[in-house]
Amino acid sequence: MQTSRKSRQRTLVVGLILVGLILVGVFGFRAARAFREFRRYGPPPPLAGEPAETDVELIRDWMTIPFIAQMYHVPGRVLFKSLDIPEHNNKEKSLKQLNDEYYPEAEGIVLAKVKAAVLANQPPPLPTVPATPTLP
Amino acid sequence: MSDFLLTQVINYGAPILGLIVFIGAMGPPLPATLMVIAAGAFSNQGFLSWWTTALVVLACVVAGDSLSYAMGYYAREPVLRRFGKSERWARAEAAFDRWGATSVLLTRFLITGLAVPVNLLAGTSNFGFRRFFLYDLAGETIWVFGYGGLGYLFGTQWELVGEFISSFGSLTLGLVILITGIVLAIRWLRAR
Repeated sequence: MQTSRKSRQRTLVVGLILVGLILVGVFGFRAARAFREFRRYGPPPPLAGEPAETDVELIRDWMTIPFIAQMYHVPGRVLFKSLDIPEHNNKEKSLKQLNDEYYPEAEGIVLAKVKAAVLANQPPPLPTVPATPTLP
Repeated sequence: MSDFLLTQVINYGAPILGLIVFIGAMGPPLPATLMVIAAGAFSNQGFLSWWTTALVVLACVVAGDSLSYAMGYYAREPVLRRFGKSERWARAEAAFDRWGATSVLLTRFLITGLAVPVNLLAGTSNFGFRRFFLYDLAGETIWVFGYGGLGYLFGTQWELVGEFISSFGSLTLGLVILITGIVLAIRWLRAR
């Protein structure tokens, strides 16, 4: 009885230490990697007057066409047209769902087409105004 | 799973986010922290109203926590029948009475993986509901406004913040388990 209890205690302690070490190792590595990435991107963008997003690499499979349209200031109908997909009944579907439904044989084609359409149709950047007026 | 939930959040907004955190607070492993950070970013981009979303999420997560506390509370009788007279149960109850408030507070935003066990334990032990509710509300307010605020601040870069915070939460849980194991090992070796 006593031996069995001791054995259970030993298993528990060894188990806790092993699980703890595995979690610390795996997630410590992941946290360090995420932190390095995080620092590489520098400080957060300014809050006020943020312009439309221009980096199409931020487009993900889970996004919907209206979401991308608003994020990149590109009309949604232009994006649907570039995909040859009707707007009706498709506004709430993610790019992955659209891909599975309309292009099941070509994985990732919807994402690629949307990125290309956004790049081709983004509004021109606003002209920058000099901080202080200059006299001729 | 995360991708599916993110699509639903951008389609249906605060109500679906509230449902996710409510269910998550009762045990199923849903990526609630990631959703709160994403919701902050979506608010910054103008897809969600910041205050409405924050209040809905706060109300839903506190309701979910209270429900899992209630599950522990109603399981108290059978648990007490099984362990109630043991010295160990009395010690565990005394320890929870002493450290329960800190545990409730910290597991809301720092070691979120332990939030549900702590809710159940709080309900099962003699930890009063009013006290639980106050610490729960304080911790969840930090969770919603702190993590949601980070998402808001970082906007389209929220994924980086989300990955770091998710990994950091699991790292903290790993450290807690490791330290518990080491403390038990030291006690066990001393007792021998």
